Amino acid sequence: MIRDAWRKIKGGGASSTGERPGLKPENLVWVFGTARTGSSWLSAMMGEMGGCSRWHEPLVGHLFGNLYYVRAGHRSEDEHFILGARYRELWLGMVRNFVLDSAAARFPEVAGGRYLIVKEPQGSVGAPLLMEALPESRMILLARDPRDVVASNLDAHKKDTWTADLMRKGGKEKPPSLAESSPDAFVKGQARRYVRDVGNAKLAYDAHRGRKVLIKYEDLRADTLGTIKRIYSDLEISVDEGELARSVEKHSWENIPEEEKGEGKFHRKATPGGWREDLTPEQVEIVERVAGPLLGELYPVRSTA
Amino acid sequence: MPDFRFRKVFDVVRDVRVVLGLEAGVSRGALPEPADGQHPGGVAPENMIWIFGTGRTGSTWLAAMMEEPKGHDVWFEPRVGTIFDPQRFQRHGGKQFILASQYKEVWLQSIRNFILDGANARFPESNGGYLAVKEPGGSVGAGLIMEALPESGMVLLIRDPRDVVASWLDATRKGGWQTRRRGEGGRRAESLAETNPNAFVRRHAEAYLQHVGSARQAYDAHEGRKVVVRYEDLRADTLATMKRMYGELGVPVDQARLVQTVEKHSWENIPAEEKGEGKFYRKATPQGWREDLTPHQVRTVERITAPLLEEFYPTGPAEQEG
Repeated sequence: MIRDAWRKIKGGGASSTGERPGLKPENLVWVFGTARTGSSWLSAMMGEMGGCSRWHEPLVGHLFGNLYYVRAGHRSEDEHFILGARYRELWLGMVRNFVLDSAAARFPEVAGGRYLIVKEPQGSVGAPLLMEALPESRMILLARDPRDVVASNLDAHKKDTWTADLMRKGGKEKPPSLAESSPDAFVKGQARRYVRDVGNAKLAYDAHRGRKVLIKYEDLRADTLGTIKRIYSDLEISVDEGELARSVEKHSWENIPEEEKGEGKFHRKATPGGWREDLTPEQVEIVERVAGPLLGELYPVRSTA
Repeated sequence: MPDFRFRKVFDVVRDVRVVLGLEAGVSRGALPEPADGQHPGGVAPENMIWIFGTGRTGSTWLAAMMEEPKGHDVWFEPRVGTIFDPQRFQRHGGKQFILASQYKEVWLQSIRNFILDGANARFPESNGGYLAVKEPGGSVGAGLIMEALPESGMVLLIRDPRDVVASWLDATRKGGWQTRRRGEGGRRAESLAETNPNAFVRRHAEAYLQHVGSARQAYDAHEGRKVVVRYEDLRADTLATMKRMYGELGVPVDQARLVQTVEKHSWENIPAEEKGEGKFYRKATPQGWREDLTPHQVRTVERITAPLLEEFYPTGPAEQEG
């Protein structure tokens, strides 16, 4: 009892809550999901709105989530484990401080009541931890049909695509990928990654008691303005509708130059259901088997190849 | 399991001390202060001694001995180093990344607070005492940890990589202690050690290079107190090696008590039924790899770990030794 009391004091004390002068945790808007769900597009539109800044993939969710859920989840009852259950309140407070200290250092302008859009699809494995550590924050769960996500990744990781260019910019050569040598194994790996990322983002979404919204890439493509208005409405963020319409128009698929679109490029085809052309029937079956429960939950009308 | 038994003793003693310590703290109104980098009354960063290296190097044995002196504690594998593994994020070097170099001062302070808060919560009564942190499995993060805690001491615990790999091979075969432990935890129990031992050897040699290589770099960069301890030296002359270690780290210890500690934890004092193939305590025989690994496996380990092998075990590859 004493121990619990102390933990509460420790975790909830004035300097342990993560409050930073001017930086409000409730003004953080987390975008979770997985890669290739349109999160760059969405966060570009939102980050451009007046009063918003964008934090592009801090990967803080991966930092903590990988150890907690992947590497050492079996040790959660071990009190020596840094992320052990007995000290959960304590280390969640530490995670909170870690995020808020870094955000305050990078985005001092957010101090004036602005919003910070945190694009974190590749850190979604740690989404449950982050949202528990920052319950006041707002959350967007951005979902997309796993078959299209896997098809997009399959294209991205082939030889001489935009991912190779990205690595070259960082001074490295992209190593040979399973996408070329063993595409079915690649598909299976990507489907598992989808389940890990989107599965954990969904867990976080279900548990989060604060403001949140679940949107689908397909809805964003079909009616971008209507969907993004719903995001702001559900998150209770006021927005200038004229400015929003201009941002949507500026970032529309039609406004991306033709030479920047197509196979092997970051902007590929943005066509929901494109997996029918991109994946073999065996690959579709692999994705549907691995991601079955999530697919059924997020896309209940299943249409197989 | 012997190592579980060892852990239980730690846990019971610590629980009692935590409760007593907290009761005393509450009655005095002296609750630990929150993270500010100073952490009065708890674990002093300069009294932390980090043990890095890799698994199967005798770190459990060393930690057990280091817990014996009065006022000394052991934090048993927190795995905090695994969180802050810079290699995992090599391709994410941009300024948006949470560990971007432009904001190093900020996140290094966060890492420091993260560790010290975690240590103080677990060892609140460690007022002026020493805390050994057994962290071989988190050695990939040794560099950032030692940079965040420059006052701390560091032990680089190494062992011949051929013996390390041979030990893992034994542990993860069918019926091995690691396989049993994984099975008890409900995790996949089958092992590459059974299905493809050569691939297993290659993978563990690479892990050795990654872990010990990271720890080695951290050791070079660390300007505070530090010492390299070789498992083989610890086996050959435990008392002298322990004395040297404490001497290099500037940790005062009672010499008579140290003699007792070394004796208590000696290989000879482990019950015979707890030792042998497939058990946590296997054979503790340096160069046992000559019996345990095939020539092909030996060459694999030597090729992959060559930089470390040449530095710490410079007699050359097995075939040159005859």
